[in-house]
Amino acid sequence: MPELRGSHGDQAQHVLTRWFGTPDLHKLGVYESKSGGYSALRKALFDMAPADITNEVKTSGLRGRGGAGFATGTKWSFINRDAPGPKYVVVNADESEPGTAKDRYILENSPHMVVEGILIAAYAVGANQAWVYIRGEYDEPHRMLIEAIEEARAKAYLGSRPMGKDYPLDIRLYRGHGAYICGEETALLESLEGKRAQPRSRPPFPAVKGAWGRPTLLNNIETLATVPWIITNGGAAYARLGTDKSPGTRLLTVSGNVRKPGVYEVELGATFRHVIMELAGGPLEGRSVKVFWPGGSSAPVLPESMLDTPTDMEALAAARSMGGSGGVIVMDDSHCIVRAAHRLLQFYAHESCGKCTPCRVGQDWAVRTYERILANEGSQVELDILQRVSDGLQNGRCLCGLGDSGGWVIDSTLRHFRDEYEDHALRHRCSVGEVAVSA
Amino acid sequence: MPDINLTIDGRKVTVPAGTLIVEAAKTIGIEIPVFCYHHKLDTVGACRMCLVDFSPGPPRPQTACTTPVSEGMVVRTQSAMAVQARADILEFELANHPLDCPVCDKGGECPLQDFTFRHGYPTSRIDGPRLHFKKPIPLSERIALDRERCVLCYRCTRYYDEIAWEQELTTDERGVQSFITNQFDQPLQSIFSGNIIDLCPVGALTSRVWRFESRPWDMTHTETICSKCSVGCSMTQWERRGQLVRITSHENDDIDEGWICDRGRFDYTDVNDDSRLRTPTVAGRKSTWADAISSVAVGIKGKGARLGVSLPQDITNEEAFLFRRILDGPLKGAKVKMHGRTAIPAPAGPTMRIKDIDDARVIVVVASDIENDVPIIDLRVKKAVSKRGARLIVVYPEGVDLDRHPGTVHIRNAPGSAAAEVRKLASHELLKDPGGPVAILFGDGRGSEDINELAVACGDLAEKVGGQELPLYRGTNERGALAAGVAGWDNLDGVEALLCWGPPPTAGVPKSVKFIAAWDHLPRAGYENAVVLPATTFAERQGSYTNVEGTVQFLRPAVRIQPPLKEGWDVLCELGTALGLHLDYPGIFPIQREMAVQPPDPNPAPPPVLVGPAHP
Amino acid sequence: MKSPQAQSVLSSHVLEEIKELPARYPHPRSAVMPALDLAQEELGYLTPEAMSEVAQALDLDPGYVEGVATFYSLFHLSPVGKHRFYVCTNLSCMLRGAYEIVDHVKKSIGVTAPDVVSADGLFSYEEVECLGACEFAPMMRLDHRYHYDLTAERIDQLIAERKGLLSVHGEVAAKPAAGPPTAPKKPRAARKKKKAESPTKSEPSP
Repeated sequence: MPELRGSHGDQAQHVLTRWFGTPDLHKLGVYESKSGGYSALRKALFDMAPADITNEVKTSGLRGRGGAGFATGTKWSFINRDAPGPKYVVVNADESEPGTAKDRYILENSPHMVVEGILIAAYAVGANQAWVYIRGEYDEPHRMLIEAIEEARAKAYLGSRPMGKDYPLDIRLYRGHGAYICGEETALLESLEGKRAQPRSRPPFPAVKGAWGRPTLLNNIETLATVPWIITNGGAAYARLGTDKSPGTRLLTVSGNVRKPGVYEVELGATFRHVIMELAGGPLEGRSVKVFWPGGSSAPVLPESMLDTPTDMEALAAARSMGGSGGVIVMDDSHCIVRAAHRLLQFYAHESCGKCTPCRVGQDWAVRTYERILANEGSQVELDILQRVSDGLQNGRCLCGLGDSGGWVIDSTLRHFRDEYEDHALRHRCSVGEVAVSA
Repeated sequence: MPDINLTIDGRKVTVPAGTLIVEAAKTIGIEIPVFCYHHKLDTVGACRMCLVDFSPGPPRPQTACTTPVSEGMVVRTQSAMAVQARADILEFELANHPLDCPVCDKGGECPLQDFTFRHGYPTSRIDGPRLHFKKPIPLSERIALDRERCVLCYRCTRYYDEIAWEQELTTDERGVQSFITNQFDQPLQSIFSGNIIDLCPVGALTSRVWRFESRPWDMTHTETICSKCSVGCSMTQWERRGQLVRITSHENDDIDEGWICDRGRFDYTDVNDDSRLRTPTVAGRKSTWADAISSVAVGIKGKGARLGVSLPQDITNEEAFLFRRILDGPLKGAKVKMHGRTAIPAPAGPTMRIKDIDDARVIVVVASDIENDVPIIDLRVKKAVSKRGARLIVVYPEGVDLDRHPGTVHIRNAPGSAAAEVRKLASHELLKDPGGPVAILFGDGRGSEDINELAVACGDLAEKVGGQELPLYRGTNERGALAAGVAGWDNLDGVEALLCWGPPPTAGVPKSVKFIAAWDHLPRAGYENAVVLPATTFAERQGSYTNVEGTVQFLRPAVRIQPPLKEGWDVLCELGTALGLHLDYPGIFPIQREMAVQPPDPNPAPPPVLVGPAHP
Repeated sequence: MKSPQAQSVLSSHVLEEIKELPARYPHPRSAVMPALDLAQEELGYLTPEAMSEVAQALDLDPGYVEGVATFYSLFHLSPVGKHRFYVCTNLSCMLRGAYEIVDHVKKSIGVTAPDVVSADGLFSYEEVECLGACEFAPMMRLDHRYHYDLTAERIDQLIAERKGLLSVHGEVAAKPAAGPPTAPKKPRAARKKKKAESPTKSEPSP
């Protein structure tokens, strides 16, 4: 096991990471004895009606941690529990938003917490079968999750009669094969069905017609890992954490130019200054924070002057950004914003599924425009193209959020760092003097 | 369906519930441009060309092709937001487009051109190099793919998947590198491949048969009926300077739903063949019509059963009517053989309509490989199964393309035992409680089945399960010829004289034949000593066909007859007159009028449908 | 050496395994990616023949399988080295020197592009997008494991280990691989044969 970089241990705000660092926490016995594991499942199966479970999650105010931040309890209530035929819970473990490592962090430290959350969710929405779609590169988390499921199966915590309850529950795994778009829930479903992962047009929504045409609940790993705590401690206790509209805690992956990169659990509402300067130790000696992405590469950037922005979703929306996946990427003053934006647009172009026109063409067009600017062939024309492409990618033009994400990178970096762009495009020089890297 | 009232661009419109905005707009003449949307394919919302804004709804442009109308909805196609959104999408579509319109076959009938003209930015803001792909790629002998022109609307691959149930055309790679491809560069095999040319909204998929042949505005076009099989699909034939240069589909929802098979689309080059017969010949020497016809009359008159008459599958009803007169009179007793027909007897009453297959809950296909026998009915069956949830039972000795659906129940009977299998079906699980109409389609197993026994078995089954029958006559006008009483099934062996209306018998000219008279459009071996009357092709013909379901449809000639060629009915009138009948019709309409007095088909034939909504 | 399987590129036990996959899913089509996995594991990369055989085993069309295989970046359509460096160069890693790591990898294994395999057949590399271990940047995936806090020295060590020059995880080092170099354009189809020649060239265990 590599060292644990991030939150663990007994801190007031630790809901998820309280027991991380406990030796062998990934073993069922340790998870049960040390952290009271699987008591929430027992409570859910025997002391609560399915509707009560959903209500408890609603009360908690928990919002999806995958990126969109939709109210989890409400999402659960969309599944018609009484509809005949199979229903599925599909777990999104295709973590691939740049700068985000929290789901891996959870899976490697406490896979049983995830298993427990999945089983509770499946029981609550009337599903007997859950599928975990896990990204293909996650070899270790995949192995650990399989082991956890097999341990739970051996102990009859899942199977035909989990804990003796006459309600079959099972979890199966499906490995992704390298496509960021699978983080988008309908693309994930297509992939799970053995197709090219291209998002579906909605409606119908997955709650009505999801995996293999059946009603399906899709949740993120972190979201489901939070559920056992909510069932054990009550939704109200969770709602007391964080802010009114963004209750609870979440895991922020802090990466980039900081002293102590890591996955930190914070109460929502804490400021990014706290997260970046204190938890992650701030920038390296002699450097200063220039800009940060508050919620993965798709979240519009915020400059150093906005470090005091709180981490809750409303505050971020007010700052014209978003909480996204909680990936906080910090860049210091030795790096060039144009180069960084170029790299991210390469990413979005590479990961565009090709289904809708603006994303397929726009991301690539932006990359080629950045290339001209970085090759000192830019002019006002290139700056105009970037703005146009950015506009053309946002606001419902694309089929899914991937298109918007590229647009936001261009738009927000242009908005906050216009001078640097103009230096590059009009004066053919880099204001931070970053040496070109081979790409 | 209840009606929904909404407003589009300030105009009130009422449409049935479930109608998409894009279709509602069409009803009042408002164009919302589309690439990926096609009314016969599932909606995908991929190209984003149809962005409009509407309330109630979020304050951003939305796709009109995926959104059904709702009561009181206000749609704005011309708001600044919507107009700019569409212009931006078009700019993206053109960013990598080669703009080789001057040499593109689609130029002039290209939605990308038209939409750019009406919805695009007035000036080009596109800079820099464009993406390049290897091109053109031959997808088959008949279809070429230009990946640079492709806007990736996926109509072609969706058609292949949804409608034709084939996967030989797919998309590879992803993002801007995505491209349409045939699997491992193997030529497309499907008999339905050509429809992708009509579906393609740009010049990416073009006909290699027509490639660089003519500009769309340089042709005249005629809506008519296909002559290749008994389905009778509507089609458009395109003529340029006396040549038939292209065939495209023409939607008739009752029969073809806008699809035609590759036989109908590509098998037309004989019309323009340089060796076409243009003048009558007698024993290889040019002759006048009068001399040639009297030579024919002399050769065939008074032969009784020593005369054989060979008829083609695409004989028109009018020609059949005239033949009836001649065969009842001067040529009484002649042996008649219609080629390309099945052994199925004439129907006793009305049969099932093709469009009613849509509503069937269970479809039974017996003793026919419908993909090859009646291709477009094959697509109708596939639609009923995959889009409308019908269950399918196939009784056929070999594998068929309908097996591609996992729910298909395929009973592989030993050849000749289809009737026995059909009798067992009444107690089949799927037919115990079909939950709605049952369609029973049966062929003759290409001669392998006892057709009388099979017809009885199918009739019994239909009675037991409340089903309707569609006997699958294969010959183009087999049903019309049956009704006219000329669809002979005689053995021509031993005849001394042979009158070939159309090409010679497929089995060859019997050795006993001493005199041949042929009405044909191409020279053939064996015509050296014959009397040969030059024939019109399907593209020049007037008349009507009765299709497999009993609908009478009219042919319209796309190519004008070049004298001295004559219409078939005209030749028959002259021949009849030379044989001593009084067949003096000044045109085809008096013949049709006379036929109408005594309708050739006892079934109540629905009115012919020639025009449907145009392909968008 | 003529056997019924002589015509197919995938071994019979792999094809058998593939044929058992569809039953595990609510719809058989879901088996396509696990099946391609098995094929790639055996051959190193997916040839048209392999994709066709997968298609046949799953009752799908080859074109469909090709469409899926070309969509996902973890499926390889050209030969790869026995050990492939998947180096993350996305922003978090780039900010901590990922491109210098890539340059070092390229120099060390002597290849210049992702579709080239080192002369000894052992190595190839690929720049990949975020691998979700950003707190350990720069990082990469190699032989089904993540490797963190990369430095030039660490890369040198990993290469040396794989060349058999250094012990791996404290195990006794195998003798240096002396097998004939693999031509980069040749599929590693004859796995069984190669295995017999050079036992050190076994597949990495998942």
